Amino acid sequence: MKRRRMTEILIEGNPELADRFASEIRRHHPVRELVAPRQGLTMIKMRETARQSLFYLGEVLVTEAKVEIGDYIGVGIVAGAKEQLAADLAVIDAACRAGLSETAGWNAMLEAEEVRLAGKKRRELAALEKTKVQFDTMEE
Amino acid sequence: MGYVAVKGGTEAIEASISRLKYERLKGGEQVDVSAILSSMRLLIDQVMSEASLYSPELAALAIKQAEGSMEEAVFLLRAHRSTLPRLYYSETVEPERMAVERRISASFKDIPGGQLLGATHDYTHRLIDFSLLGETEEERKRWLGKYEAELSGLEDASGDGSYPKVVEYLRSEGLFETFKPDDTEPDDVTKNVFQFPASRSERLQILTRGQTGAVTALGYASLRGYGQVHPTVGEVRVGNLPITVQAYGGDDGDDSYYIGSIRATEVESFVPMPSGGPDGKQELRFEIGYGICYGQNETKAIAMSILDQCLEHPESDAPSHDEEFVLLHVDTVESTGFISHLKMPHYVTFQSKLDSVRNTRKGRDGHES
Repeated sequence: MKRRRMTEILIEGNPELADRFASEIRRHHPVRELVAPRQGLTMIKMRETARQSLFYLGEVLVTEAKVEIGDYIGVGIVAGAKEQLAADLAVIDAACRAGLSETAGWNAMLEAEEVRLAGKKRRELAALEKTKVQFDTMEE
Repeated sequence: MGYVAVKGGTEAIEASISRLKYERLKGGEQVDVSAILSSMRLLIDQVMSEASLYSPELAALAIKQAEGSMEEAVFLLRAHRSTLPRLYYSETVEPERMAVERRISASFKDIPGGQLLGATHDYTHRLIDFSLLGETEEERKRWLGKYEAELSGLEDASGDGSYPKVVEYLRSEGLFETFKPDDTEPDDVTKNVFQFPASRSERLQILTRGQTGAVTALGYASLRGYGQVHPTVGEVRVGNLPITVQAYGGDDGDDSYYIGSIRATEVESFVPMPSGGPDGKQELRFEIGYGICYGQNETKAIAMSILDQCLEHPESDAPSHDEEFVLLHVDTVESTGFISHLKMPHYVTFQSKLDSVRNTRKGRDGHES
């Protein structure tokens, strides 16, 4: 599974999933901490729709961690102050880069969580659609 | 009279800070940061927007520490921000990826996708609800349970929360000018002091982190005649924008890291502008003013769209078209900092002015006698 998709599921989904994956790796492989979870900033680059140019919208607080498994470095980045999740994401990232055997079994769980998230989102959208305006044209 | 260095006041300052804490605590009741987070959504949005730092948790903490003072809370966040390293720049956030929770148009009744009211105070009675004085946790839970039960009976929506832009519909009809994506790297006013004339990216960055009241006041001034922009709001939308970054070896979109989403309000205003037609006659065309800010703050985003369009036309003599006038006066920390510094000791400068007045009078009195 591509990183963009996987990190979205792990961050938006149940944080126990990231904890479970990272714990599994930590049990079976030596994980060297390169950068302990630390807070920092990410500057948001945005496109405006009037002239299609770019500008900086502002910064967002993030937590970042870096680990090494064998020769592979993993990075965990998440918006907010979430040290444990950033550390878990770094381990998962390194495990995926290293192609560790444990990662082979993750796809099914990630896809199941993705389905659950999609269902939750559809229900939220349905609730929002209750606020959609139905215009009636007044006749003379 | 020469300059005299003075020191002192340390004990008084310490006592003053204790007094400040006493004022915060003496009422006996305290609001937890979690309660601010859960119930002061729009205040948090405003603090984050003016601080230019997206962190609801830190904003809630700053609000508690500042006893609800906007300017203090923003100052605290800006100061904290300056202690943190900037680790990443996001990939370009494309606005059409917003998961929309609210979108309305004042220009068209029927817009593709429909008008979605979402959560808004717009249609509420502006009457104080005295029932909130006695609102209990049990009542809150009962209301939530009932509302969620109603929603559980709904059929799931089929869309993904994205909606077509009203402006793109008009562009496709050839009514608005189209622009190709311009990927020129933006300037950053937090890294470099900007100079006039400011670039478009600098203008937008300053406006989006501007003080809500200041941006609103100057936008309003433009409508009242101190500017030449009076738009129709094409679209206001509120929703969540996904943020991704590239890190360590990634080089394509699928390889990037999703880090979370931010809530934002985005506005496109349609501004009629006279221009020369092909036959030499004056004709009207539309330009777009752009506004966006963290959180849900529609008044600020609309006002920003007015000022964006004003600053695109510096040829007007009106104050709201003067970028120095607008851009140098909308920042919360700069304006409140400068105004409040006036209460700090100015003993020497004021004595100097007094001496000047005394000497002038002495000379005048001597001359008259």
